[in-house]
Amino acid sequence: MSDQTLAPARASGGSEWAIDLAAVGKIYKGKIHALKGIQMRVREGEVFGLLGPNGAGKSTLVKILMTVIRPSQCKGTMLGEPVGSKHVLRRIGYLPEHHRFPGYLTGAQVLDFYAALNEVPRSVRKARIPELLELVGMQDWGTTRVSRYSKGMRQRVGIAQALMNDPDIVLLDEPTDGVDPVGRRDIREILAELKRRGKTVFLNSHLLSELEMVCDRVSILVHGEVARQGTIDELTAGQECYEIELAGEESAKQLAASLPGMVRFDETGAENAGLAKRVGGRGELATGEWVEVDHAMLRVGTTDAAAVQPIIDKVRAHGGVIKSIRPKRPSLEDLFMAAVDGGGAAPGAKSSKNPKRDMKAAAKGGDS
Amino acid sequence: MITQTIALFVDAYRELNAKKLFWITMLLSGLVVLIYAAIGIDEEGVSILWFRIGFIPVTSEQIPPAMLYKSLFVNLGLGIWLTWIATVLALISTAGIIPEMISGGSIEMLLSKPISRTRLFLTKYATGLLFAGLQVAAFTTASFLVIGIRGGAWEPGLFLAIPLVVVFFSYLFGVCALVGVLTRSTIAALLLTLLFWFMCFVLNFGDAIVMGIRVSNEARVDAYTTSIETKRADTTKILTARHTNQGDPLPAGYVATDEDIIGLTPWASLVFEQRTKSEEMLDALRPWARGVYMAKTVIPKTGETIGLLERWLISMADLKTANQIDETHEAPKIDKDTGEIEMEDSEVSLRAQEVIRSRPVWWVLGTSLLFEGVVLGIAALVFRRRDH
Repeated sequence: MSDQTLAPARASGGSEWAIDLAAVGKIYKGKIHALKGIQMRVREGEVFGLLGPNGAGKSTLVKILMTVIRPSQCKGTMLGEPVGSKHVLRRIGYLPEHHRFPGYLTGAQVLDFYAALNEVPRSVRKARIPELLELVGMQDWGTTRVSRYSKGMRQRVGIAQALMNDPDIVLLDEPTDGVDPVGRRDIREILAELKRRGKTVFLNSHLLSELEMVCDRVSILVHGEVARQGTIDELTAGQECYEIELAGEESAKQLAASLPGMVRFDETGAENAGLAKRVGGRGELATGEWVEVDHAMLRVGTTDAAAVQPIIDKVRAHGGVIKSIRPKRPSLEDLFMAAVDGGGAAPGAKSSKNPKRDMKAAAKGGDS
Repeated sequence: MITQTIALFVDAYRELNAKKLFWITMLLSGLVVLIYAAIGIDEEGVSILWFRIGFIPVTSEQIPPAMLYKSLFVNLGLGIWLTWIATVLALISTAGIIPEMISGGSIEMLLSKPISRTRLFLTKYATGLLFAGLQVAAFTTASFLVIGIRGGAWEPGLFLAIPLVVVFFSYLFGVCALVGVLTRSTIAALLLTLLFWFMCFVLNFGDAIVMGIRVSNEARVDAYTTSIETKRADTTKILTARHTNQGDPLPAGYVATDEDIIGLTPWASLVFEQRTKSEEMLDALRPWARGVYMAKTVIPKTGETIGLLERWLISMADLKTANQIDETHEAPKIDKDTGEIEMEDSEVSLRAQEVIRSRPVWWVLGTSLLFEGVVLGIAALVFRRRDH
């Protein structure tokens, strides 16, 4: 990739936000609220991940940004210009989900055609096509018709196509869809390269492990609302812990019985009373760290190894057999599940009987 | 802006190029041209390739070669091939353009580009006319060469066929685009367009019938009147002579009355009756003619648009020569038993031609284009307002 192909991103008029949405809403046919006043900010030069379950409104939001769908309500800017302005699209690269390129075009013609629609001059297109085909590893397939491509190849050409106009923001909707592990690694490398050049990358995906590897910040969309938003560190803040796994449920029971001096259990510990062996509960250490017991698992809310030692001593003194001890940080999947279920799955996350209220609270918390 | 337009047209060409039907149509076009290039005419008669066709008693003195090829081009090439068969093939090839454009996965790629929806839609619509444009351009160029080489007349007016056929096709394609936007279905777009075309055809057919009856009755009335006036002049002469001989001269400037004519020539009363009958027929026809004309004013005039080329290419005088009608043509004969007049078909069709040609070009093209504009406007509006 030459420096001309993907030049460093241009500044967007002083604002540090590449995408700054204050309130984006969409009501389909007057009743289905697909998006409910989305508030979202994407910093310039970062890799931003939008995630959420099917039907959360991810694609609707992306399509609104790309003017494919007309929003019912829209306050927000992209590269400093109001969302919906056609003009600004010239500086944005886009790969839609389930895209279909005309089968009669070759890979190179696909790049040429869509770049021309982006008003990229002919000479520039000519120079970029081979470079971008090479970037996505398709240099030998440029003269083959798209109709003969595999899904992964179409995805690669699709990504090359999104870079033809040397965009400041690259918006990729499920870019690794149908791509094999090697291809996915290649795509991650391309994303890293884009970031290195200061491009803003907006990823829409449900492959959480993918996002976790590349994203600086994520936003979790549930039922048309932003449930969580922030860097992975921010979202997991206060949720890192040590996980102490005991051998057998019996020792856990003993443990539960022996800890009261140290841990004050909530009544919620009895919530699974139907299962005789089930032991669970939550409490607090005298030093302030939270403690959670779930079956044979004991979690201590601290990153400080020293703080865990007294607990280990206590457990061992009561005859508990320790299988493993490890520091744990919630994965994106944990966060995702927590957001979708409204808490519970993420260790340390406050469980709530009202997931909706939880999400709303998170949405209000918005960007940190 | 121009980059985008060029890109859309280049893309449309690539799409056509990838379609077998486009090249099949091109091939058939070539065949049609070859067929009429094979027909020859000289002082001895008509020939096909090197074979003389004895049973057609026409020579180049009656129909000059240039005239023959021009009318072959207008009637066979344009009238049958281009505006019927090739148009159906063109519709089959292009009916999918709009539905395919707005199908999922493809429309996102286009709408996410810095091009307004209206411009995108209209440009895409225009690319749909490319099929018709390229086909008629190739066909006309080949015909131009045939008429020049075989007929000896280099007729640049032939190239008017290109815009005319494209305009004609655009009426239909406008409907096709609207149905395509509304239903997103190629088959629906194709079938409803063909149905619409058939409706235009039926209306044209009705117009032709009403006009045929009208024109033939007008011709009859004219012929009866001519015949009656001739008789009147004769009767006046005879009566004047008779009265002068009897020493009872008629007042100067006396003109024989209808009764005088019948008194002298009893069967003339039948002619009067026939004339009244034809006049009544014309009166009865008038509201129908008006209705058809009004309906045609709203609907695109497919047949007449193509007919414009014949208007421009073949003059009325040429047509008269071809039909061997001139001013010295003898008066039509009257059957003395019924009073009916024997009308020649060629004269009636010439009169019909005159009526058709008297319809102004702005009416033919303007109202048709207005219809197309409204249809496209609705389609563009729907396309603009929809969430894709």
